[in-house]
Amino acid sequence: MRLVETGNHVVAHAVRLARVEVVSAYPITPQTQVVEKISRFIEEEGFECEYIPVESEHSAMAAMIAAAAAGVRAFSATSAHGLVYMYELLHWAAGSRLPMVMANVNRALGPGWNIWCDQQDTMSARDTGWIQIYCSTHQEILDTVIQAYRVSEDPSVFLPVMVCYDAFTMSHTYMQVDLPDQEAVDRFLPPFRSPWRMDPRFPLTHGSVIYPQDYEETRFSIYRAHEAAKEVIRRAAEEYRDLVGGYHGDLVETYFMEEAEHAVVAVGSLALEARVAAEELRRAGHPCGVVRIRTYRPFPSEELRRLLGKMRTVVVLDRAVSFGLGGILASEVRATLGGEGPRPVSVIAGLGGRDVPYTLIAERTEAAIKGQAMEEEWPTLALSDRHRVSKEALRALGEVSEA
Amino acid sequence: MVEIRFHSLGGQGAVTLIHLLAMAGDRMGRFVQAFPFFGAERRGAPVKSYLRVDERPIYLRSQIYRPDYVVVMNLGQTEMALSEGTKENTIFIFNATEEEASRLNHIPFEAYRVDATSIALDLGMEVEGMPLVNIPFLGAVARVTGLVNMEAIAEVLRESYPPDRAEASLEAARRGFVSVVKFKEAQEETEDSRALAGG
Repeated sequence: MRLVETGNHVVAHAVRLARVEVVSAYPITPQTQVVEKISRFIEEEGFECEYIPVESEHSAMAAMIAAAAAGVRAFSATSAHGLVYMYELLHWAAGSRLPMVMANVNRALGPGWNIWCDQQDTMSARDTGWIQIYCSTHQEILDTVIQAYRVSEDPSVFLPVMVCYDAFTMSHTYMQVDLPDQEAVDRFLPPFRSPWRMDPRFPLTHGSVIYPQDYEETRFSIYRAHEAAKEVIRRAAEEYRDLVGGYHGDLVETYFMEEAEHAVVAVGSLALEARVAAEELRRAGHPCGVVRIRTYRPFPSEELRRLLGKMRTVVVLDRAVSFGLGGILASEVRATLGGEGPRPVSVIAGLGGRDVPYTLIAERTEAAIKGQAMEEEWPTLALSDRHRVSKEALRALGEVSEA
Repeated sequence: MVEIRFHSLGGQGAVTLIHLLAMAGDRMGRFVQAFPFFGAERRGAPVKSYLRVDERPIYLRSQIYRPDYVVVMNLGQTEMALSEGTKENTIFIFNATEEEASRLNHIPFEAYRVDATSIALDLGMEVEGMPLVNIPFLGAVARVTGLVNMEAIAEVLRESYPPDRAEASLEAARRGFVSVVKFKEAQEETEDSRALAGG
């Protein structure tokens, strides 16, 4: 069935198609439509699912952990401050090796209070052990939430999966999406059968004290599970294409990379805007392609080395910053290439929802191609000079505080 | 690709309007994208909304700075609509009476008007004192842009609303369709108009 819907409502449809059994969530802009739609499905449209209206995101994740430990398929959705509020529990979920899926609408962290798109929230949670997949279209959101359960529940993985998509440019934007048949989804995603579960008839403890001789083993097993997840993600994407239909790449998705000499690397909706920039550059005689990192954890190191190692120019777009270092994605791409190929140019742009038009991406990429770009750029700052605090203002402040 | 930017007030129903237009565009076999620029949403605050319709998948995710059409649902936002970016052949559609439109002659663009407020009030389409001007605009935008036809709009309204409301809405859309009228041609830019357009 064809719908014209917001990205948020698409998530709710995916949750229903995946036959999720427990949803535990706390509303937060711009995620609220997700949980509103799910509650409507449950209350009015016969979706058989237990909705737990918790009092905070910390509890939302705690209830998710309990549900997954009891062997049921669990879902939550959050954004920005909600995600960082559940930060401790993110570690508990991954450390306990519990399959579950959570959608996160990428939004800026305050202060200043800002509800718009930014990827600082999930990128700050990259080391929690969660798998992170970033979407760029509505269809991809739908297909990825369903695929994420397959990946998460695979015995060689058993890790929670975060499905990320951009605030407003995706969450509140109406676009077309094709809903697959329930039977097709059921063939792809059988019911969750956990090999163990919390059960009062067979009491057991999990998450208890673990001594130095064993703790490292648990970390190593999470590390190995991420390595295994790469193949599971590829397989899930292919099987989904065969059984349900729809393919958006596996760990990465490429656009015009076959004959490219220059590449723009990005995640989320910026990677689609970058396609238009690449088209413009190609028309101007610069063979430019786009590499969209879909799976950020596990990181697609082999793919990036293969795709970028022979480029003449690499530009990495970041909507998040590691303060004291630079663009998060750019730093990781540089580390992955390890001196192979060109030194990637880091472009940090569009923080807190500032618009990044394709013209700007094309302009900075062309500058990089011509060797005129700086290693680290913040080009959207140049759109205004509001970041400059004037000496006069500082002096006035000093006078006020002295008086 | 056709790009349309809408200027309205919170409560006038612009988000519903772009959603319905996008659904109708889907019925016409086009690729569609509709999104509002959200601030702290509240009744009466200025809202910008965007619609893209294309023959091929839409990759753009940025806002619209060079629209083919600008729809001004509330005349108070005329200056904002002019300063947010236009191109040489941008076409404007105003919510205006004939008398109000006569005061818009300084605008250097081809312009249409539809008295959406009166259509909404005539049909009793009002929420908390705010006329729902969005539905008359459904017809007006269809007529001026030719992007969607009234059959597609009728289908979408009947699918989205219970029968009574769907038929009332369809009537409002029809009135918008038949009454939208061109009131001025594009003209050479004057110094005044350039200043007004922020150039």
